Amino acid sequence: MRSRDRKGMVMQYATVLFIILVLNFFLPRMMPGDPFLILSADKENEIVSVLTEEQREYFKSYYGLDRPVHVQFIRYLSSLVRGDLGNSIYYKAPVIEAIWLRLPWTALIVVGATFISTIAGILLGLFSARNRRKAGDKFLLLGLISFAEIPSFLLGLIILLAFAVRLKIFPLAGAVTPFAHYTGPLDMALDIGYHAALPMITLALTQLTGIYLLVRNTLVTVMTKDYIRTARAKGIGDRSVWTRHALRNALLPVVTRVGFMVGMLMGGSVLVENVFSYPGVGSLLREAVVARDYPLIQGIMLIMAVSILSVNYLVDIIYEHLDPRVASYEAA
Amino acid sequence: MTFDSCNPHKNAPVLKAALKSGCLWLQGHLQGYVHHRLKCHQQILSYWKDISDSSLFSMDNPGSPSLSSLCLCASVVKSGCLGLTLKAQRHGGKFSESHNSGWIFKTASSFTTAGKMALLGLFLIPGPEHILGTDELGMDIWSQICYGARMSLIIGLAVALLSGVGGGVLGLLGGYMGGNWDKLLLRAIDISMALPSFPLLIVIAAFLNPSIVNVILVLVLLSWAKPARIVRSSALAMKKQHYIVSARLNGASPAYIIRRHIMPEVLPLLFVSILNIASYAIVAESGLAFLGLGDPTSKSWGMMLHYSTSFRSIYFTPYWQWWLIPPLVALIFLLLCLAFIGRDMERVVDPRLRTGGRS
Repeated sequence: MRSRDRKGMVMQYATVLFIILVLNFFLPRMMPGDPFLILSADKENEIVSVLTEEQREYFKSYYGLDRPVHVQFIRYLSSLVRGDLGNSIYYKAPVIEAIWLRLPWTALIVVGATFISTIAGILLGLFSARNRRKAGDKFLLLGLISFAEIPSFLLGLIILLAFAVRLKIFPLAGAVTPFAHYTGPLDMALDIGYHAALPMITLALTQLTGIYLLVRNTLVTVMTKDYIRTARAKGIGDRSVWTRHALRNALLPVVTRVGFMVGMLMGGSVLVENVFSYPGVGSLLREAVVARDYPLIQGIMLIMAVSILSVNYLVDIIYEHLDPRVASYEAA
Repeated sequence: MTFDSCNPHKNAPVLKAALKSGCLWLQGHLQGYVHHRLKCHQQILSYWKDISDSSLFSMDNPGSPSLSSLCLCASVVKSGCLGLTLKAQRHGGKFSESHNSGWIFKTASSFTTAGKMALLGLFLIPGPEHILGTDELGMDIWSQICYGARMSLIIGLAVALLSGVGGGVLGLLGGYMGGNWDKLLLRAIDISMALPSFPLLIVIAAFLNPSIVNVILVLVLLSWAKPARIVRSSALAMKKQHYIVSARLNGASPAYIIRRHIMPEVLPLLFVSILNIASYAIVAESGLAFLGLGDPTSKSWGMMLHYSTSFRSIYFTPYWQWWLIPPLVALIFLLLCLAFIGRDMERVVDPRLRTGGRS
């Protein structure tokens, strides 16, 4: 991906976005049945009213379904551009509003988990590389690799059962204490942090191993380089060599990894939020699935896909600026 | 040194020496094709030697003491569950045979809530009749675990084989043939790797009928790219190797070269990625079912997690101890088995990982 020019990268992301939009547009139209054949028969004794031909024509033109498919698709795109994702059947409100209410909670735990796993991963990786092939390194390696194989929602369930159900240290559900009166912003922040701690830690643990292994392995490679020997020969202290000379160069691949991690965390947050009944976009998605609220499901998918894609694109651009070698390869 | 048919460890140096002397002898006499074919055979032989030497059959390697036992455990899970389903099914049907419902409702009013539920066969704690207890409908949990194992294994295997074989063939053709087909393939791989798989999976599963076949197809569509990329790049690298070039110059057809020279090297790599895809598919299926997007007529571990976590206030009752934990433990156990097997296969397949240590 590195070696291609900026234009190709943009084209690739545009194609991916287009595929997602096409899927979003055609999936409801591929479902069997015609919504206008029979109008509403919710109860058994209610008369099923079969629409006449005229009424069907009216409804079809009302929803714009009598136009050719490409016109419908363009209208769909233009409404998306205006920020109109349709109306939620269950919440009786625009989809964008329903999502907007829940988005901050998801953003909170995803960003928090990114910070925790990045910082902890770098610190553990540094520790492991410095104590390579000693007991601490081996223990960490084995433990974290085993952790990485457990998917996020199963890990979340274990953590929930242990800390919230059994030990009762953390709350079982929700993002704030219901009916709480806060004395000040600090009190509120503490309560929010208290509720967000378990989902955040769960998400962070699933991504920790990737960062840890990356930092550890890059550090091991970097330490064999000539400039490290030069630095040591100059008489720079051990601590300074590790942090200022080695770690700085080892952090470069971490940037890319963090970007892709955000995408994976957003996917994982859907399940983890449901485990902890955390009121983010993920639990909204489960509610939408249970209520068969199709416009809402589509809207959530679109928002998530677009944000994952834009984060990945951003990472590609940042990486180019951070590592001048990428740009020079392209020029050559 | 003698050839010992019982102990593969002693054979390794014998085989190696024989091959080496054979190679040296041939090198002096026959240049070109014959030599390269032998080299290829040597690679295959040394590959099998590595497998027999490695932890798959021995406990000597300190890096992977867990593998043999985990392998065994996985096979026990499979055969045990598949064999026991019939027996468990009879356990599950016990309620309707043994209880007279009229009598229950007459006398039930005099019992406590717990007593009523015990009479109806609901939420029975694990005991001799129901070894893992029953759930809120009185269904035996052990039999549900058995059925769920079948579901997870079918989905994992089917997705892994389909996308492994399909992606492998596409990648092989792309890497070996090159040209426009390869460019197209590369584009498709890039795009399908960039697709956000889990949200997409949810939407497709929500709109299509959530049958096993649909879930398998969607998962295959989202996971074929990785094996295709691995196979493509190794086929591309191998195409330029001298022994393949000389085979081609000697008039070997592409089908022959792919079959005899490229496949033996690519297959082990493919096998590792197939294992990874299997565990990905199992996680994805159980995640979907956990969200309530599974097939409601089937039994799977994800569905059990879904039903138990959506049971009102389950954490304030003791039920989670025997309703929620069994599917959880089963899933984690299966995934860890697959992961350890995959990791050791990787070490066997990739010589760099073996000789250089895990640095």
